[in-house]
Amino acid sequence: MRPNFKEINIKNIFLVFASMGNLTFGGGNATIGVLHREIIERLSWISNEKFVLSFAISRLSPGSNYFAFCVSIGWLLKRFPGAVVSLLASSIPCSMIAAIATVAFSFAQSNSIIKSAIHGAIAAAVSITLVTSWNLIKPYLNKKSSFRVLSIIGLTFYLHYFIELSAIDIIIISACLGGFFPSEKS
Amino acid sequence: MNALVLFLILLKASLTSFSGLAAIPIVREELVIHHHVLTDTQLNQAVVISRSTPGPVAIYLVSVGYFVDGYIGAMVGWLAMILPAFLVIPLIHFLGQKADHPRVKSILTSVIIASATLLFAQVIPLAKDAIDGYLTFIIALISFLLLLFTNVKTHWVIFSALLISAISVIFSL
Repeated sequence: MRPNFKEINIKNIFLVFASMGNLTFGGGNATIGVLHREIIERLSWISNEKFVLSFAISRLSPGSNYFAFCVSIGWLLKRFPGAVVSLLASSIPCSMIAAIATVAFSFAQSNSIIKSAIHGAIAAAVSITLVTSWNLIKPYLNKKSSFRVLSIIGLTFYLHYFIELSAIDIIIISACLGGFFPSEKS
Repeated sequence: MNALVLFLILLKASLTSFSGLAAIPIVREELVIHHHVLTDTQLNQAVVISRSTPGPVAIYLVSVGYFVDGYIGAMVGWLAMILPAFLVIPLIHFLGQKADHPRVKSILTSVIIASATLLFAQVIPLAKDAIDGYLTFIIALISFLLLLFTNVKTHWVIFSALLISAISVIFSL
């Protein structure tokens, strides 16, 4: 009998984070895109609002944003046990792969097939990251808030490319502006 | 190097950064310049490995740990990498309860939009590095269309990209 992944329990949290969180090339953002697809679109474990809330808050947390994000989702699903399980499931397999890859690095570097395969996977990861950024912004693009959203996007681009501020500085500035100028409908 | 000292150095680097690779300056200063237990080449290799294996780029701390102290070092790197993640719990607990307050909602919405824009900004250098020929361009384009318009599992998109790229080398396409 196939396991019912729709049910939120520790075992299923472990299985989803261990499988989805450890097979995606292209960094944490691409992996968050994969988890969005699985947890929101396929399993409907939490609302999209809670998912993006976790995404936003994990940006404000020290350390790896990705692992903070996993802890946050695990916490929302099953409190502390969920947070611990999601963190262990999302970090142990990929850490073991990284340790093995470190040992085998010289071999992988000289093998053109492995190098090319990884390069192809990273090209796919570019698209995953692009679609993830679109999925995050899309819910906020409506007639009432488009000007506000586009202003934040424009300011972020300006601070990133022209002033060359770090990501955390830009996020703190955005948070301050959001706090000082709350929209009437927010 | 003592495993506890290595742990404290990597934890300090992890705690004082807000994204994966942002901890590199501290790791380099402590382990390469100050303690001479890691070389610049090894640090670069650790970053390349983290970009060539699944998972977040912060995983380079595991490779750094391995280069410094073998498997014990790798475990120490893993611990230092994951422990700061628990700091998100009080944040999500407090802000999650206040999420409906207009000012908190406005702050979070602004952070989400800025983060998503920064995410989009990351796509540009990533694409310049990853898309270097017609094959990788086609892989990226088809992946984008599949992910945007279908419900196909992301794993299949990644495995297909891996397979097609490997086959292209075998048959010298």
